[in-house]
Amino acid sequence: MLLQLNNIFKWVNSGGQRVFLLKDINLEVEEGEFISIMGPSGSGKSTLLNVIGMLDAFDEGEYNFMDESVHTLKEKHRANLYKQYIGFVFQAYHLIDELTVYENLEMPLLYKNMKSSERKAVVADMLDRFNIVGKKDLFPTQLSGGQQQLVGVARALIGKPKLILADEPTGNLNSQQGEEIMEIFKQLNSEGVTVIQVTHSEKNAGYGSRIINLLDGRKIEG
Amino acid sequence: MYKLFLKIATRYLLKNKLYSFINIFGLAIGIASFVLIMIYIKNERSYDKFEGSENVYRAYMDYLVGDTFEAGDAMTYNASGPSLKQEFPEVLDYVRFYYFEKVTFVLGDNIFEQPMGSLADASYFNIFKYPLLKGTKETVLKDPNTVVLSETLARKLFGSEDPFQKTVSAFWDGTEVVLTVTGVMPDPPQNIHFKNNFLISFNTENTWGIFNEHQLKPNWNMNNYYTYIKTASNTNAAQLRQKIIDSDIEEDTEERHNIEPIEDIHLYSNKPYEVEANGSITRIKFLSAIAFIILILSWLNYINLSTTKSLERAKETGIRKVSGAQRPELMMQSLVESILLNMVAIVIALVLTLVLLPLYNNYTGKNLSLEWADIESFLPIFGFILFGMVLAGLYPAIVLSSYSPAKALKGKIKTSTGGLNVRKGLIVAQFLATIILLVGTIVVTKQINFLQNQPIGTNLNQIIALHGEVVSKEVDSLVISKYNVLESELENLSFVKNVAIAQTYPGDSFDNLSSSRGVTLPNGDVDNNNVFYSYHVRPDYFNLVGIEFLAGHTFIPTAAKNYNQVVVNEAFLRLHNITSVNEILGKNLKFWGNSDWQVTGIIKDYHHFGSKRAVLPMIIRNQYDVYNLLIKLDDTAISESGFTNSINQIEKKWNEIFPRSSFNYTFLDKKFQAQYNDDKAFGIAFQVFTLLAILIASLGLFGLTSYTVVQRKKEIGVRKVNGASVAGIMKLLNQDFVKWIALAFIIAVPISLYAMNKWLEGFAYKTNISWWVFALAGIVALAIALLTVSWQSFKAAMANPVESLKEE
Repeated sequence: MLLQLNNIFKWVNSGGQRVFLLKDINLEVEEGEFISIMGPSGSGKSTLLNVIGMLDAFDEGEYNFMDESVHTLKEKHRANLYKQYIGFVFQAYHLIDELTVYENLEMPLLYKNMKSSERKAVVADMLDRFNIVGKKDLFPTQLSGGQQQLVGVARALIGKPKLILADEPTGNLNSQQGEEIMEIFKQLNSEGVTVIQVTHSEKNAGYGSRIINLLDGRKIEG
Repeated sequence: MYKLFLKIATRYLLKNKLYSFINIFGLAIGIASFVLIMIYIKNERSYDKFEGSENVYRAYMDYLVGDTFEAGDAMTYNASGPSLKQEFPEVLDYVRFYYFEKVTFVLGDNIFEQPMGSLADASYFNIFKYPLLKGTKETVLKDPNTVVLSETLARKLFGSEDPFQKTVSAFWDGTEVVLTVTGVMPDPPQNIHFKNNFLISFNTENTWGIFNEHQLKPNWNMNNYYTYIKTASNTNAAQLRQKIIDSDIEEDTEERHNIEPIEDIHLYSNKPYEVEANGSITRIKFLSAIAFIILILSWLNYINLSTTKSLERAKETGIRKVSGAQRPELMMQSLVESILLNMVAIVIALVLTLVLLPLYNNYTGKNLSLEWADIESFLPIFGFILFGMVLAGLYPAIVLSSYSPAKALKGKIKTSTGGLNVRKGLIVAQFLATIILLVGTIVVTKQINFLQNQPIGTNLNQIIALHGEVVSKEVDSLVISKYNVLESELENLSFVKNVAIAQTYPGDSFDNLSSSRGVTLPNGDVDNNNVFYSYHVRPDYFNLVGIEFLAGHTFIPTAAKNYNQVVVNEAFLRLHNITSVNEILGKNLKFWGNSDWQVTGIIKDYHHFGSKRAVLPMIIRNQYDVYNLLIKLDDTAISESGFTNSINQIEKKWNEIFPRSSFNYTFLDKKFQAQYNDDKAFGIAFQVFTLLAILIASLGLFGLTSYTVVQRKKEIGVRKVNGASVAGIMKLLNQDFVKWIALAFIIAVPISLYAMNKWLEGFAYKTNISWWVFALAGIVALAIALLTVSWQSFKAAMANPVESLKEE
């Protein structure tokens, strides 16, 4: 089992009242799954994804990731954990504008203290795989949305993660670009990478093996 | 990793040109101002430091004024030095100086006046460990009629020839002495208070004939000598000082000897009869304060801008965190960026300093430099700059690295109230400093104007003072009769209105003014306590310089015993509580052992030393002794050509009557104004640095508003859609700043009031710090702030709301 969420609650206090963002979420994810999280706006999809990605804390419940209990870990260890095993893809790509494509891809490796020669090889490999060798010296603003997201996915994959978390990865793309990205996810999944995506689109959800529906922070069965 | 940091930082700075410019420019101005002021201060603090200078003290006189002793005279008696050495075993040696404002050197046909030199005891080089280029330190000043020349003076006299053992004539007050050159010393450095271009052996006074027998004996009557003592290195200075004060070596209860470290003279001493106009520790303190304020302002600016700007970079931070960056790495990156920015600023600041230094030197008349040789002494300064730089980089780094990645990526990082308060605090601090500096500038300017517009009781326009030296071996009476001829010939010139001989004149130094105690008033009261000042002139003097009579009249040259006639001033009357002029007019005073000085007139107070000092009690005597020939020219001499013509004709007359002489002249009004030069320079420094501080503060405000406006873009859009007017939006955006400045103003008023009152304490006549000074400073600060802010808020208010709302 890759990860397991038990009775996860997350809330904020607003005007003396407790507003639940996540309510009693239980979830088990096996390695190699392709899961789509769906639900209307404000149902807690992104919050759940952030909790899984350890970017956001929760208030109650247990979270085990590869036999580590995340809820008991200190921030530094949590960061080491996700740095090693998780790659993130965002709707707004979130590339660093001051860095070239090449440097954006290289950045996560720097934080892993990888040696320079090794970094070069890994980045070159990734550029090659996504057919963006010719774009490696361009800055993000010089690319189309689809190309930026391609870089975003490549960056998520560069650390060879076990899990890809994608928050509406095609939300800013046109349908053709969106399809390309989804095809890549499908391809990755078939290579053994676990994918969890948040999406509004039934069509995109169709790429996955399982759909989790959320409403007002609760998981709806069925 | 650092390469990456550097890369990102460089690209970021290049991309955000306005931000980088504001930051770097602000920092560079701050650092350059700081370094410039520090160079100046370092120079001011470097005075009179030589090997063993910590054990050298100047003796001076305290006078009893009322019940307390006050520093009364920088000069002492010729008996002071020997007595101090004899009485106190701690005193190892002494050196006395008899100072000449100028001496005329004659070598063949080469006649020229050389300012600044002294008679000095042979112990000079034992106490002042200055180098000697030629001669032996122990013996150069031992024999009478020997002289040590400065390098420049030796070259002026002897050209490329070796001056050693050559002879030269020196004239002072018409009296000649032939001197043998026994040594050559380097020119006096600029940072000593007692600059001597020549030193004549002290015992030359016995052969020169400028003193009478009475004056030559060790005495407690004439305090015309500067005395410096050298103490044993383990001496407790405070104890020695107390012993000297208590000792009363002179046995005169009205005055006492005192000592001060030579190293303190330049900044701490401002006594009558100083060798040169000294610096002022108050000025140094004010300038240091300004230097620190400006530097700190520029750092606050930096903190403020980069913290605000870091909001924009929340996304980048989020991405980094998601990619595995941890807090130390993020902070490091922020610091790298800050250091890069500061380094660029430092380089620009140094270039600015090097460019500005010659201008600055030109203006202040100093010769300051930033040399690699003394880079070491600047290390603390650079250390301080570096330290502040890291500190300034730390806060934004902490803020930036603390963002939670999930929020940062959603762009949910809004100005937190804490962060906003910090930035508001910074803006308040910046404006606090700005308003204080503004008040300072206004007060300093007001005071200088006040000094200059103070009625000085004289009219010195179009007056020149001739004070050439007649180099002839004629008897005094012959010289005087020739002067009489010259006077009448000059008076016949069409452009000359009036001519009068005077020992000294308003704006001249203390040197030609004698100070004495001991006067018996007409009613028989004896005052042995208070000092009065005296000089002598000819009858036309008062009319010529425009001094008015309160009662009585000038001297009557035809009267019997006219040489005993005197005129006193109002200050003299006040000092002795004389309320009616009839108590003194026409009556006799007794002083200097003469009991029939007859008071012919009482003059209204005039400022002999400018309005920085209170008017001194004066007795002006009628005596024919040639020091200065004052000439009042008419209006034809106002123009350049008119003046050149006039002075040529005067010089021609002078040379006809005194063929062997030097010729030079001084403008009285210019010399009088020159007394304010230091204060004017200080005023200008204040103005310039205040301007820079305002510039830095406005840059910061400009940067800050441009981001707050961006942040409130949506709010502005919503308000506009709901009917807000442009004026309404501008009011919304500007009112905050008005509040902050009001707060800064309230804090600034007491601080600046206190500081400026402290500064004004140094003046006898001070302007008042009226309410409008603060009002003006406040309004100027507010106006600058509003102008800066409004540019941005107007743009924001004019923006099409559809555009700003679409982005959400």
